[in-house]
Amino acid sequence: MAGILSLVRRIYLSFYNWIVFFGWFQVFYLAVNTLKESGHEHVYDAVEKPLLLAQTAAILEILHGLVGLVRSPVSATLPQISSRLYVMWGILWSFPELRSHILVSSLVISWSVTEIIRYSFFGTKEAFGSAPSWLLWLRYSTFLLLYPSGITSEVGLIYSALPYIKESGKYSLRMPNKWNFSFDYYYAGLVALGIYVPGNPHMYGYMLGQRKKALSKSKKE
Amino acid sequence: MKVLVVTRSGKELIKGGLQLNDSATVADLQEAIHKRTRKYYPSRQRLTLPVQPGSKERPTVLHYQKSLSEYTKGSTSELTVVFKDLGPQVKYSTLFFFEYLGPLLLYPIFYYFPVYKYFGYKEERVIHPVQTYALYYWCFHYFKRIMETFFVHRFSHATSPISNVFRNCAYYWSFGAFIAYFVNHPLYTPVSDFQMKIGFGFGIVCQVANFYCHLLLRNLRSPSGNGGYQIPRGFLFNIVTCANYTTEIYQWLGFNIATQTVAGYVFMVVAAGIMTNWALGKHRRLKKLFDGKEGRPKYPRRWVILPPFL
Repeated sequence: MAGILSLVRRIYLSFYNWIVFFGWFQVFYLAVNTLKESGHEHVYDAVEKPLLLAQTAAILEILHGLVGLVRSPVSATLPQISSRLYVMWGILWSFPELRSHILVSSLVISWSVTEIIRYSFFGTKEAFGSAPSWLLWLRYSTFLLLYPSGITSEVGLIYSALPYIKESGKYSLRMPNKWNFSFDYYYAGLVALGIYVPGNPHMYGYMLGQRKKALSKSKKE
Repeated sequence: MKVLVVTRSGKELIKGGLQLNDSATVADLQEAIHKRTRKYYPSRQRLTLPVQPGSKERPTVLHYQKSLSEYTKGSTSELTVVFKDLGPQVKYSTLFFFEYLGPLLLYPIFYYFPVYKYFGYKEERVIHPVQTYALYYWCFHYFKRIMETFFVHRFSHATSPISNVFRNCAYYWSFGAFIAYFVNHPLYTPVSDFQMKIGFGFGIVCQVANFYCHLLLRNLRSPSGNGGYQIPRGFLFNIVTCANYTTEIYQWLGFNIATQTVAGYVFMVVAAGIMTNWALGKHRRLKKLFDGKEGRPKYPRRWVILPPFL
């Protein structure tokens, strides 16, 4: 029984990882193509569908961690996925004025390259039992560059969105109301930017630690 | 007897070990370690018996009141203990005092001072009666907590790491300001008079019940700070293990029924979650300790924390 469950798990995770890999590959391909042919202003429109799909699918990964299907701690995946969903849905999708910004291109490329490597790494591991050492190396090394480039793009886009957020009053709840509650999406954006300040050294440090563990482990084997 | 004190990495903390009386207690050992290391006062020390490498069992923690010979398993000549530094410690009463001081002082600031001016609102505002009663209720609550900390609660010998002061104060002070902001807001919408009276009335009853629960818990422990476990009895404890938490949660419910803010309800849910975690642990511990075997009483069937739910 345990054997069959483990097999089902492997098949499910293989499918999951390769399907999402394909989504991100599409994003990368369309982004590069559009940059070549039309220019950075059109990148968002070209990648929107596969981007929204592939990134939102990552919510499943939180579930996977919660039910113990994968080893990744929820404490690491939750902040990562939350920030991605916030930038994608909460900023880019909600405020079309941002979509022609050049940082969209750097964002989309940073994210898609990282995810292509990450999902193919896990997909290979689940399907074939192990991943080639060059893929392992890529997985734990490209973040050194792509993490800062991705974060810079995220922070830059949130910051650029602020005036539009304030002006539109979108997603904000004002008082008076019978539940005596108010929410200001603009201030929430400022708080989000604030969280990036300690949050990112922390995440980067975590990845550095993971890199050390993973690459030294493969040397020993 | 000779006591070797090693750190978890195997290094000797005290070169050559310590020489103690055969009848010495763990507390004596802690004093001796403190004398030699200066920095590590007893409440910072966590002393355990060594476990076999690779063994998954949890190490036995040395209890300060027990005699060392209870841990030597026969051979009274030498004992090895593993030392862990718990970091700077504070008394529980100190921790509680600072946690509660924040809400007690911050809330009235939102009531009395023109704070909302800085959020872009006009200075003049109408103060509804419920907001005044909420101020009294809230401040009484935290005043009561501080008084109980110094005069009612009997703490076990335990202390808390100093980092918890920052963590707990952040929790209490942030939520305090969060709730105070909305209840005292110039655009606050009060509920009906009837609902307010029900809310505060129920809340006060629960606070009184909560105080009584604390008195009962106090009498379970002897003044010497023994900190042992007993089966709680009397009043609501006959039907729920952590009646003190029950009354605390329902007391916040009363406050929220009267003031009706999302912030207040969020705080109540989070607090209930935290207390439920503690309550489950306590209930489990009591059931394990009072298993009905070897002449020990059996722990009766009771709600854990929140009848009629858990």
